[in-house]
Amino acid sequence: MGLLTILKKMKQKEREMRLLMLGLDNAGKTTILKKFNGEDVSTISPTLGFNIKTLEHRGFKLNIWDVGGQKSLRSYWRNYFESTDGLVWVVDSADRLRLEDCRQELSSLLLEERLAGATLLVFANKQDLPGALSKEAIREALALDEIKSHHWCIIGCSAVTGENLLAGVDWLLDDIAARIFTTD
Amino acid sequence: MDVVAEVSQETGFAGESGADKLQERLQKRHQARVEDAERRKEAKESQSVAEEKGEYFYTTFNKERASIEELLSSCSGADRAAVTRTLEEATAKTVQLQKFLNDSMLFLKQYDLRQAQAALQKLQTSLTEIREEALPKKKFGFRARTKATDPVSAPVSATPLPDAGTPADSGSTKVDGAAAPEQCSFSNMDNVSLTKTAEEIQKRDVLLTHLTNCKVRLFGAPSTLHLKHIDSCEILCGPVSSSVFIDHCTNSTLAVPCQQLRTHNTTDTQVYLHVTSRAIIEDCRGVSFAPFSWSYPTLEEDFTVAGLDQDRNNWNQVDDFNWLAAGTPSPNWTVIPEVDRKTNWDP
Ligand SMILES: Nc1nc2c(ncn2[C@@H]2O[C@H](COP(=O)(O)OP(=O)(O)OP(=O)(O)O)[C@@H](O)[C@H]2O)c(=O)[nH]1
Ligand SMILES: [Mg+2]
Repeated sequence: MGLLTILKKMKQKEREMRLLMLGLDNAGKTTILKKFNGEDVSTISPTLGFNIKTLEHRGFKLNIWDVGGQKSLRSYWRNYFESTDGLVWVVDSADRLRLEDCRQELSSLLLEERLAGATLLVFANKQDLPGALSKEAIREALALDEIKSHHWCIIGCSAVTGENLLAGVDWLLDDIAARIFTTD
Repeated sequence: MDVVAEVSQETGFAGESGADKLQERLQKRHQARVEDAERRKEAKESQSVAEEKGEYFYTTFNKERASIEELLSSCSGADRAAVTRTLEEATAKTVQLQKFLNDSMLFLKQYDLRQAQAALQKLQTSLTEIREEALPKKKFGFRARTKATDPVSAPVSATPLPDAGTPADSGSTKVDGAAAPEQCSFSNMDNVSLTKTAEEIQKRDVLLTHLTNCKVRLFGAPSTLHLKHIDSCEILCGPVSSSVFIDHCTNSTLAVPCQQLRTHNTTDTQVYLHVTSRAIIEDCRGVSFAPFSWSYPTLEEDFTVAGLDQDRNNWNQVDDFNWLAAGTPSPNWTVIPEVDRKTNWDP
């Protein structure tokens, strides 16, 4: 039995996944995390550091890491890369002025060797705002079609209404599960 | 001090009610005091547990760190095989130390956490440097999954999902930083007075960019408010249901209630603020705060529309992301002294 197979077997037993949620500040990461967990979203402060939540969903144990996106915190993102199964990139779809920033940060993340195996879910968040760009526009602005290194998917959602959060997480779980929990 | 205040309060009560009522009140008050003391004791105990944990963390963290540093310094002058072995050991120890930090973070103060992370990062950098210097090119350890042999990393196209129910997308995918037609905005103006009414604003995202010497009044409850490149303006806004995002603002006066305030690259600006979570500043200088005091006829209703709690205002709890030392206040923001606060907002 090869090492990879042993690792797969170990993970399979635990059915545990590590999801890392990143994105520019104000994108709505913490709001998504809390909404997904059914918590109050009206008292959330900008994240000084990070939050982790462990959730049970569809029989999986999800360890979700939500790291603050302020400029001064981005250099710490790398401390959370290790053994990430899924990367959730959250975008404020109404923040047209920082889309270029957003594209650059994402593309440099995708070059990280330690994230090489991770599945990428892009949440085009804040779709409830009238000025929000559609997920197609975000897909184009972030040049997602050029990504060849990762499985990816973009989903329009709203952390405030909760719309499509579940659909996104379910896609992510399916993709990861197909990869790490299948025995060979 | 405390006691005097309480006694005079009790006397106040006695004057308006009978003696047995007073007795009952004193009884209640005593009970409350006992409970309060209990609470304080509990709080103190849990704090000392946290401190103990913190201390255990520092001792262990620093010991481990020192031993890794020692390993690294033993590399200089050693032969290749020895360096390889040592580096492997140091790498394993560093990974463990990261894990230890991750496991401890729940009780660490943010500042200490960042210090520890910075220390780890430094270790990682030295590790890489030594490795590159001592063992050029040759990589050891397991490679992460190799792309060529792994069928999983083949690209997949990305629309297997039901549409997000986005607002009707008319195919316009212009993202060049200009405001979208459906966005409520003012841009590129000098020396004017600008107003938006509740109907124009309600539940929309409002964007103000490149304004100089302008007076802006937003009578309503927007969903979010973005200010960018604002110079010498006075901007007053009704309750914002989520965040206010400020970037490159100088010499201005702002008044706004919101859920979050995020201030960047801003200098010499006064903010009259009502914030229900917290305000932050990053890369700012000379920003000063006072409680929100502007008013207009439908303000109360707009607080309700925005879903903001009017009784919860954390205007003076400001996190400076460039200044995280516990204990020492940030030099980048201040509270506006009461005598200097603006009270007249007439146009
Ligand atoms: N209208 C609207 N507002 C949202 C949505 N998601 C988040 N927000 C608001 O956007 C602001 C920022 O949300 P946070 O969750 O704090 O953002 P974050 O990505 O965690 O930010 P950092 O912690 O600084 O990295 C808050 O005021 C949220 O209420 C959404 O889907 N729609
Ligand atoms: Mg956050």
